[in-house]
Amino acid sequence: MGRFILRRLGQGFLVVLGVSLVVFVAMRVFGDPAKVMLPLSATTEQRAEFEHLIGLDRPLPEQFVTFIGELATLDFGDSLWQRRPAMEVVFERLPNTLMLVGAGLGFAMIMALPLGALAALRPGGIIDRVTVIGGLVGLSTPQFWLGLLLIMLFAVQLRILPTSGIGGVSHLILPALTLALPSMARMVLLVRSQVIDELNQQYVKTARAKGLRFHQVLFGHALRNVMIPFITLAGWEVISALAGYTVVVESVFAWPGLGHTAIQAIQRNDLFLLQAIVFTVAIAIVLVNILLDVIYKFIDPRIKLA
Amino acid sequence: MKLLTGLLTGAVLMTGAALPMTAFAAGDIVIAIGSEPSTLDPQARDDGGERAVNDNIYETLMARTPDGALVPGLAAEAPTKVDDTTWEFKLRPDIAFTNGEPFNADAVVASVERIINPDLKSEQMSYFGTLKGAEKVDDLTVRIITTGPDPILPSRMYWMKMVPPKYASDPKFAEAPVGTGPYMLEAFNRGQDIVIVANPNYRGGKPDIDKVTYRFVGESGTRLSGLVAGEFDVITNLLPEFVDSVPKSATVQGLETSVIILSTENEVTKDPRVRKALNIAIDRQALADSLFGGYALPARGQLVNPKAFGFNEALSVYPYDPEQAKALIKEAGAEGKTINLVGESGRWLKDRELIEAVGQYWSEAGLNVNYQIEEFGQYLTLLFDKENRPDAIFVVNSDELLDADRPISSGYESGSGFASNKDMDMQAKAQAARIETDVAKRKALYDAITQKAFDDNYLAPLLNVQDIYGISERVEWQPRVDAKLIVKEMKVTE
Repeated sequence: MGRFILRRLGQGFLVVLGVSLVVFVAMRVFGDPAKVMLPLSATTEQRAEFEHLIGLDRPLPEQFVTFIGELATLDFGDSLWQRRPAMEVVFERLPNTLMLVGAGLGFAMIMALPLGALAALRPGGIIDRVTVIGGLVGLSTPQFWLGLLLIMLFAVQLRILPTSGIGGVSHLILPALTLALPSMARMVLLVRSQVIDELNQQYVKTARAKGLRFHQVLFGHALRNVMIPFITLAGWEVISALAGYTVVVESVFAWPGLGHTAIQAIQRNDLFLLQAIVFTVAIAIVLVNILLDVIYKFIDPRIKLA
Repeated sequence: MKLLTGLLTGAVLMTGAALPMTAFAAGDIVIAIGSEPSTLDPQARDDGGERAVNDNIYETLMARTPDGALVPGLAAEAPTKVDDTTWEFKLRPDIAFTNGEPFNADAVVASVERIINPDLKSEQMSYFGTLKGAEKVDDLTVRIITTGPDPILPSRMYWMKMVPPKYASDPKFAEAPVGTGPYMLEAFNRGQDIVIVANPNYRGGKPDIDKVTYRFVGESGTRLSGLVAGEFDVITNLLPEFVDSVPKSATVQGLETSVIILSTENEVTKDPRVRKALNIAIDRQALADSLFGGYALPARGQLVNPKAFGFNEALSVYPYDPEQAKALIKEAGAEGKTINLVGESGRWLKDRELIEAVGQYWSEAGLNVNYQIEEFGQYLTLLFDKENRPDAIFVVNSDELLDADRPISSGYESGSGFASNKDMDMQAKAQAARIETDVAKRKALYDAITQKAFDDNYLAPLLNVQDIYGISERVEWQPRVDAKLIVKEMKVTE
């Protein structure tokens, strides 16, 4: 197990390096901070001066060497936008994103298992039909729109929750729900179809025939087999949330997390901050993947970690 | 799903009921701004989020009335010109920064020297490029020296915030600002909010509103919801289509003027008849009504803001005459010829819609319009390319100093900014105006420039867009021409 984790960390390091390189090149090829950061009225000399200040006038290979040095020391330089170390901004915003993803996807996972299983017990029944329709609606709703809709209902009409921002638990509910609902819909549908499949397997009939009660079969055997695809999907949802969904949700709710900060960094062509953010998210994704492998092993001891 | 909705609603209701909602004290307000201040150092950045807060904490030697007139601020009176490059300011006595440091000639000298010091890398240098330094005459008299004659120095001093000389070099300064203004910082919670409270010792008396919380909400729909839900009292950049949904709204003539710069050199547009046709083919009133819901005014034939010094009262909106435009295009033999219209998308309100609508008018006049909507960085390269001017390029000029110098040097003066003409006489006039300290002569030069450009159709000025604010029922406020959110001018009525 220890060796396995070490090896995966090694591979993960390569992934993080690769992603960082792509960002390094893309930001320099497609953006020009000296133009975007300064007001329209700035002179050519002022723009050249600014480029020099942030080191973008140096040859690309030289910048690249500096960049590798920065990677090694986790120092990505000062954010152009906030004029303080980019990593400081990242560490300030990361906990907010983790809180949002944890609450949202935690809720989605906890709800998805029983709902999906309940629907699968009587395929075609009322609960099943409502679940399937609800699931389809959930996974085809754009998160941006869903967020605004929830704000309209709970914050503007009912006035029981704040519209946006960060503060107490009340501020967390709407963004977490917005993040949770589409993921939950996907997970519910998956659990439902998997449980239906499992309940039709021969081993279920055998287990029933040897006298096990239905709930023993469901919880002891069927659901356990469903866990592997479920965890795979859940992991994928966490990764998608970190790499994308939070950008939308955090922007709608003015939630000061990494996703919202990434958008602001892109708008301002703040390549140093963006590098730090992408680097951090890449690490988080690698860690989630390793965690998934360990959980597989835990659920199904037959799986070999190699 | 019913079960699901039930569970969710239940959970949400319980949690919601258990938590106290934002409770307002009588004299407190919440202002939602579009972006978080990058820093609270008042001299480092050119950042609207920073200004929204610091305009209430800091003061400047010169100030403006809500209508835009330049008046003394920390200065006791308007400055006097000692010679061509020296301006003398008398200061108001007995003013102190909220940390106890006195405001005097030393503070002015320190503020000027700090901002022009290259080590600060101030983005505001585009306002202060002409400054050489400052010297103290006596405690309440200070002279500001420019590198050459600079007629708009008084306007520049409306932009420079006065900082406490000792504390300004403290590393904490960017996080915990200290000024002479009506408000003091109480808390700066990065990513979350900024709280300022009334300065009881403010020279103009303690302001009406005790405490202001700034929230940073980038999404306009979310700002709107917060206002409607009663969480915010003032929101900025309300979209025209939402005006009917808010409790109250207020508008003011904004600083921005949209324009299309026409090249006088390129094949099709070098013909003055074509340029005239391009101008009169556009129905500006229709653009203002349809795209901006009426919250914009057709520009009066120039890029200079109507509230700015140098605005040419003699000019009027180009008339809308599609028939004559067609005739002119035909006469010039330009029918069916291609014209490149360069622009960008997303930087300014409704920019893309505006560009496409103008292109539509030009097509109707008989030209073949080739739209070139670029990514912003690439667009800027085209905008500032001195060698190859596009046939027509869209841009929005913002006139923070309310002086014709910026629009003239950006859009009219050949070889400068994004001007697309080769009018050397106009260039000479623009350069002369920049150093002309006689107010009447300078105005005459600007009038001559804008008149000539109007007659020769160097530009197609489009609209002066209005700023729209959403305001809660309990707040009374008339927004300012210079777009500053001055809290001491707001009142809570309950």
